[in-house]
Amino acid sequence: MATDWDTMPTNTEIAIIGGGVAGLCAAWFLARAEHQVTIVERAEPWGEASGANAGTLSLQVKIRPVLALAHRALLLWEEFEATMGTSVGFARPGGLRVATSDALADALRRSADRQREEGCDTQWLDRDAAHELAPWLGPSVQAATLCHDDGFSSPLLAGPALIDAVRRAGAKLVSNAAVDAVERQADGFRLVTTDGAIACKILVIAAGPGTTRIGQMLGVNLPLYADVDMLSVTEPAPPLLDRVVTHIGGVLSLKQHPNGTILIGGGWQGRGGYRSGRKDIDHDRFVQNLRVATETVPELRRLRIVRAWAGFEAVAPDALPYLGRLPGDKNAYVAAGARGGYHLAPVQGLLLSELIRDGAASLPISAFDPGRYTAIVQHARTT
Amino acid sequence: MKSTSLAILGAGPAGLAAASEAARYGIGVTIIDDNALPGGQYFRQMPRTFRHTTATSSDKDRKRAAALFEVLQQPGVEFLSETVVWDIPDEHRLAYSGPHGAGLLQAEMVLVSAGAYDRPVPFPGWTLPGVVTCGGLQNLLKGQRMIPGRRAVVAGNGPLLLVATATLLRGGAIVPEVVEAAPVLRRLPSQLWRLAAAPKIMRQAIEYGALMVRHGTRFTTGETVIEALGEDAVQEVVLAPIDERGQVNRARRRTVPVDTLVVGFGLRPSIELFQLLGCALRFDRMSGGWLPVRNVDLETSRPNVFAAGDGAGIGGVERALAEGRLVGMLAARRLGRAGGDGGTERKLRASLTRMDRFRTGLERLYRPPCSYLDLVTPKTTICRCEEVSFDDIETWRSRGLATGTALKAATRIGMGRCQGRNCLATLAELLAREGSVPVESVPMPRVRPPLRPVLIGDLLQEDSPPPHLPDDPHLPRGEPVS
Repeated sequence: MATDWDTMPTNTEIAIIGGGVAGLCAAWFLARAEHQVTIVERAEPWGEASGANAGTLSLQVKIRPVLALAHRALLLWEEFEATMGTSVGFARPGGLRVATSDALADALRRSADRQREEGCDTQWLDRDAAHELAPWLGPSVQAATLCHDDGFSSPLLAGPALIDAVRRAGAKLVSNAAVDAVERQADGFRLVTTDGAIACKILVIAAGPGTTRIGQMLGVNLPLYADVDMLSVTEPAPPLLDRVVTHIGGVLSLKQHPNGTILIGGGWQGRGGYRSGRKDIDHDRFVQNLRVATETVPELRRLRIVRAWAGFEAVAPDALPYLGRLPGDKNAYVAAGARGGYHLAPVQGLLLSELIRDGAASLPISAFDPGRYTAIVQHARTT
Repeated sequence: MKSTSLAILGAGPAGLAAASEAARYGIGVTIIDDNALPGGQYFRQMPRTFRHTTATSSDKDRKRAAALFEVLQQPGVEFLSETVVWDIPDEHRLAYSGPHGAGLLQAEMVLVSAGAYDRPVPFPGWTLPGVVTCGGLQNLLKGQRMIPGRRAVVAGNGPLLLVATATLLRGGAIVPEVVEAAPVLRRLPSQLWRLAAAPKIMRQAIEYGALMVRHGTRFTTGETVIEALGEDAVQEVVLAPIDERGQVNRARRRTVPVDTLVVGFGLRPSIELFQLLGCALRFDRMSGGWLPVRNVDLETSRPNVFAAGDGAGIGGVERALAEGRLVGMLAARRLGRAGGDGGTERKLRASLTRMDRFRTGLERLYRPPCSYLDLVTPKTTICRCEEVSFDDIETWRSRGLATGTALKAATRIGMGRCQGRNCLATLAELLAREGSVPVESVPMPRVRPPLRPVLIGDLLQEDSPPPHLPDDPHLPRGEPVS
């Protein structure tokens, strides 16, 4: 089918493998810093998890090692809304994270304590306070925490906005070019793709679940799991939820969009998998997802679901991002594998652009060393 | 879990005929339909509380309908009205929901007889009040005993224009013109031998013609509606001829004052259930587009999943009844019952072959003379739920979005309450035209549950184990990628 994407150049300063949110955010910061950037996308940009995720930008669901990143990313999303030219659907209504049993309430309290230690304004709400603040919560909610920083953006709006902005900033975007091989050269790399070859000085791998395969081509172990996260959306409804809602058990996300539709997620696993390429609704888990949703917000019972879908979320074994320079290669970088990668993408792009330009990032990233599993493998071989 | 031997999805002619046949052999049947009353589109009934003094459908049809509805009174036959099948986790488990209950239905065999809907053809003004489809008109008449206006033009392509015209004239409306896009009068002589295979239908057509002559209705061919004009409702219809090369000649446009425009561009089979079931599909432009592949037993590529009626290929009521009977008989046989004598089966199969000949003749007679995409202008609404115009799509295409999925995400086309039934086929045709490829090669968005909007409260009636919370919600839940 005819496309208006760019044709593959023979060489470029920086090649980014992957036209999803991670690759586009990296391209945005690099192209604005006057680098010559080419995005090499296997299929269509924004075609997988970037467009199929819930768009949740929640600080308080993040684990401690990524809190600083998540906070900075929220500021960048807000900046995107103001500077991209078209809306990315950013809103920050604040978020409620709920617990539906006493045991979960204890876990929630511990999590909030840790977040406050990191400087987050996560507020503890006991049962009464939670129900007073959010009368739409169901009786099963025992406690909640409130974080004013929590919000969302719209994956449907952010994709076209980012693609447009990145290309206006001068980056080239080549679609339907799957990378078959990565060759090291004297002054960089050569990518052999299904749409011709391209040479680059600097390589950025932002290929979501495909990152593992690209890593193998360079002899680096970047293990990933592909979750098949299901989502569904209701028909437009009168205002019901004035907050983003999440669950300490990690099984729910709820938000109401400006058009009145309510998005229901929670990482319930669909049928299929990355290897088969299938991502279908698992009936029983879908029903359980909605059960959790209605226990948290009973009014949802009166709404109708109009659509449901699933998307792959590529997660490293420790749920932390691979962010930084590849071991053994001076000019190869990676941004992939984080739980909540959509939320973190802008900050990962920013930090990579700093690394490439200045040799140092403005936030600590040593915990995200892309070599952390490669080292383990080599160690295991020698002992 | 509720269970049945044969689940029939759709209580129209095909579904009811299959149920009648299966019930004769004592097969347990559950029929599910989203309407309040059985009958489908063809045998649509008025609400029970309505009274009427004049008959509309012929006595013969009323008698046939009454005979079909008898099956619903038989022991072992269950009818779930106002109920949708919104998911099919596997071919033996159907998730249903409606005011009479919700849950999972276990079925040994499934017949999908979900019928068809009016093919949506966008043109400027097609969303104005007063513009109705042929199917919508028949619904109003049969279901509410109403016609939509007093002065109507009937325009489009296909035999349903004649049925709609007869409905309007018998209902007392003035129909100054019927405008058929295909040059049917010119093509008629070469197809007569095929059409003769269904003499009763031909006689009916002649009656329609005579009725139009009596009422002074003008029948023109080789012309199409290009626009409906009006402030709050349609007031004028703009028509233009189609030339020999299939081009709409807008220079020779003319205008007719009306309060109603009835449009019909043929029917499209409802194939979502087949898609969800994973049945193999084939593309047949003349029979309505995408259709399930069937073997001689009307079985789809999924074992014990059958397809009958217009939903398996547009063929009309007689064909639907015959197909339904055949499926009922074959299902009974597979379930170990006698399942009909060979003579009846041979007769049914012979009548289907005869109807094939008629259908081919009809398809050739009405083959569209132009691309209806030519009626679309920049401001024309393509997706009426989300109010997406052709311009909106073109804006994003010019920015580089080239696939249906990407355009859907950017414009929200197909994301509304109709779930894309009224626009995604048009989008596929637009992309095919732009890419100069056949429409069947344009990838279709994947069909996922819910097939119809489904009340969340209904889903909770299903027995499902209590939700299991992951030990650490941050850790991966899926499989390793390599």
